[in-house]
Amino acid sequence: MSRQDKVIIRKIPTGVPGLDEILGGGLPEFSFNIIAGAPGCGKTTLAHQIIFANATPERPVLYFTVLGEPALKMLRYQQQFEFFDPDKLETCIRFINLSQLVLENNLNAVLEAIVKEVEAVNPGIVVVDSFRTVVRKAKAGGDEMELQGFVQGLALHLTSWQATTFLLGEYVEGELRDNPVFTVADGLFWLYQQVERNSIVRKLQIVKLRGQACVPGLHTFRITQAGLQTFPRTFGLTGRTAKTSDRRRLSCGIVELDAMMGGGIPAGDSVLVAGPSGTGKSVFATQFIAEGLRTGESAIVAVFEERPQEYAQRASTFGLDLETPQREGKLHILYLRPLDLSVDETVREILDVVEKENVKRVVIDSLAGFEMALSPGFRTDFRESLYRMIGTLTRKGVTILSTVEVTESFTDLPISGYSISFLCDDILRLRYVEIDGRLRKMLVVVKMRGGEHSKDIREYEITPKGFVIGDRLTGYRGLITGVPGPWNTIVEKNKEIPGKTEIK
Amino acid sequence: MMNTGPLMAIQDLARQLLALEAARAESSDGHVDETVCVCEKLRVTLSKFMGIAGFASLLSWALARTKAQIPSLSGVKVRTDGTLEGFDRVQDKPAAGKAGAVLVSHLLGLLVTLVGKPLTLRLVRDAWPDTDINSMDFLNGVKS
Repeated sequence: MSRQDKVIIRKIPTGVPGLDEILGGGLPEFSFNIIAGAPGCGKTTLAHQIIFANATPERPVLYFTVLGEPALKMLRYQQQFEFFDPDKLETCIRFINLSQLVLENNLNAVLEAIVKEVEAVNPGIVVVDSFRTVVRKAKAGGDEMELQGFVQGLALHLTSWQATTFLLGEYVEGELRDNPVFTVADGLFWLYQQVERNSIVRKLQIVKLRGQACVPGLHTFRITQAGLQTFPRTFGLTGRTAKTSDRRRLSCGIVELDAMMGGGIPAGDSVLVAGPSGTGKSVFATQFIAEGLRTGESAIVAVFEERPQEYAQRASTFGLDLETPQREGKLHILYLRPLDLSVDETVREILDVVEKENVKRVVIDSLAGFEMALSPGFRTDFRESLYRMIGTLTRKGVTILSTVEVTESFTDLPISGYSISFLCDDILRLRYVEIDGRLRKMLVVVKMRGGEHSKDIREYEITPKGFVIGDRLTGYRGLITGVPGPWNTIVEKNKEIPGKTEIK
Repeated sequence: MMNTGPLMAIQDLARQLLALEAARAESSDGHVDETVCVCEKLRVTLSKFMGIAGFASLLSWALARTKAQIPSLSGVKVRTDGTLEGFDRVQDKPAAGKAGAVLVSHLLGLLVTLVGKPLTLRLVRDAWPDTDINSMDFLNGVKS
């Protein structure tokens, strides 16, 4: 069969941000779907969002309620959501209560009632909420075959009448096997609500979807006044090719450091700035942002540990004005809710601004703060999530600079506690070093994936003007341990060993 | 001073519906009580939406409130199918006339409490599809 002979399955929009992407473009028209999950996970809200997005007077929605949440209460609560449009009720959305019918009759009578309403109204979408009660009725009668026949009859009839169908039910995962309802369904959407310590994490999985490729795996979602919002693991970039980076070098705002990095940071790189508390990671990040703003680039700073106003005020103590670019819309300081946050939500929020404002520089300050803001469940996936986040942002041509606090060791030079250095193109390490009874600061460019860089270990200071890079620290050995000794000690010792080359 | 506007608006709508049914009963030379007719029309529409048991619950609550105000309705009941029993047999006719408006007002007031004015009006319009219900005062609230 040639490509043009194949039937084209139209995809209808869900009205849920991010969900069309997860579904591979939208809901397959005329599909027979199940929305499953435990009570309170958002099944009814999801169904309502879909119906309000699609109901028209020509192709209305039939919403059958069966011994679940009474329709009156459903409307009382659902009208609180922004997607709820009272004008669509009765003209485009009709609620029909089948509770009495289910209680008093067999499944054939229920099927007949649904068929009668469908034939009278010619709906585009049909919802049965809760279908689980219909299943319970069948199981109470002990006739599994009757249930199978009912589900098949319902699917057949509703597809014939060109309706896209949703059956809502409270199911647990163990019920997936040998369930005639799931066998017949074209689509199976599973909503999860996991409580982890004091946090609630909501996730959605498309367990099954006939006819089109959906994005596999668990996707985070949140329910707000606007309804459901999903955060696809692909961040909405499915099928998009990576933006070719121009590979020009970006100044970090510190001339000497640009020189150490071989002329600046290659555009589109991911830079990690690691160091213990007080070494100036945030100052460096702010100078990097300020330099971008100075050259006309829009920027984002994602902060987790302090409010945007505090961040801007701190920058002003170094003579950096972040207030004006904020007012002009060139700088966005995102303070991300430090409660039950997921990486996917954060990336979505950043990506929205990146796309809207053509942002070129992003600072994440800091990874430790970011991790702390996440709910415990997301912390376990932090490294994997960072991998996706950095990949997504750099793919869009954004240069991303992340700060990470490391616990200072006086034996080696740890880069970060996250084992994420492989994710970063460039690494700058800041550290304290004890010299002549004084705690001084040194920095070293550990890695530049884009090419050559200085291997010098340079002293620096944080002054009211920001970073001031000093000379190479010479005459010491073991600087990276933080407790160096003078070179001449080694020279003297080597002199005593026959055959040892003198170090100059 | 208490704002009685919303309550008056509900009472106005109730009286409007009763007047509609009274006029229809008169023109058809029927003898069915207008309160029973209003409740029946609401029953047909609302029970399709919320189930018979759901409508019967609402009407039972409204009737209990009405009985507290008009004791002569003590013999009136709500059947399990949501229909009114005994309303047309109330001996005290002036009281029954007043009770109709009170009962329908309580029923509409309960709907307003639960789903708000716009949705209540939508449900009422669905019960009287061929009638132009004057909703201006109901939606805006009658000035007290």
